[in-house]
Amino acid sequence: MNRRLKLILAAGLGLAVIAGGATVASAMLLQDASAELRSSGQAGEQADGYLGLVGSASADLRAKVDAVNIKRRAYYTDLAAKRGAKIEEVAATTACELLRNKVGAGQFYRLPDGVWRKREGAIALPSYCG
Amino acid sequence: MTAPILTRLRRDATQGAMGRVKFLLAAPALALSAGCVSVSAPDKPIEINLNINIRQEVVVRLQQDVKELIDKNPGVF
Repeated sequence: MNRRLKLILAAGLGLAVIAGGATVASAMLLQDASAELRSSGQAGEQADGYLGLVGSASADLRAKVDAVNIKRRAYYTDLAAKRGAKIEEVAATTACELLRNKVGAGQFYRLPDGVWRKREGAIALPSYCG
Repeated sequence: MTAPILTRLRRDATQGAMGRVKFLLAAPALALSAGCVSVSAPDKPIEINLNINIRQEVVVRLQQDVKELIDKNPGVF
């Protein structure tokens, strides 16, 4: 085996390790990205069915929130098409559920009035949530 | 001046082997990228509009589907 061949082998192995690591990292990000963002106190659930930034945020945090919201939007679009509903309707229905069950005590949420609040006890859900 | 025949043959063999090695290294990389689910960004930016206009009967109709959606995608919701 000459030196160049060894170099190519090493580079290939390095690439495989990096690609494998990236796959694992993205899977980990997926696992509980939303829950982590909510519990960080820097992001909260909104009545429109998306995560929002509470106060000013770093570019990194903004990117994480955007990544989750893009996926949510894709799921909402898909379900809306399946059920003949508007994307906003699916999103708002999801928000009712998330506000009810996923926002923990001390975590932030924002209703149509636009004010960020910390959850203490039950959230006074919008009337349409039923 | 051309290289002696034996030297040429040896070089060809080495290069052939290297070609195969490159292919073998490329294969797992391709397999990895094929396994990824790509999520593309929507054309329009996501607008935040908290003025929600929805009737309760629509919420009731969609509720079960939404519950399943949330349960199936714990990372996103």
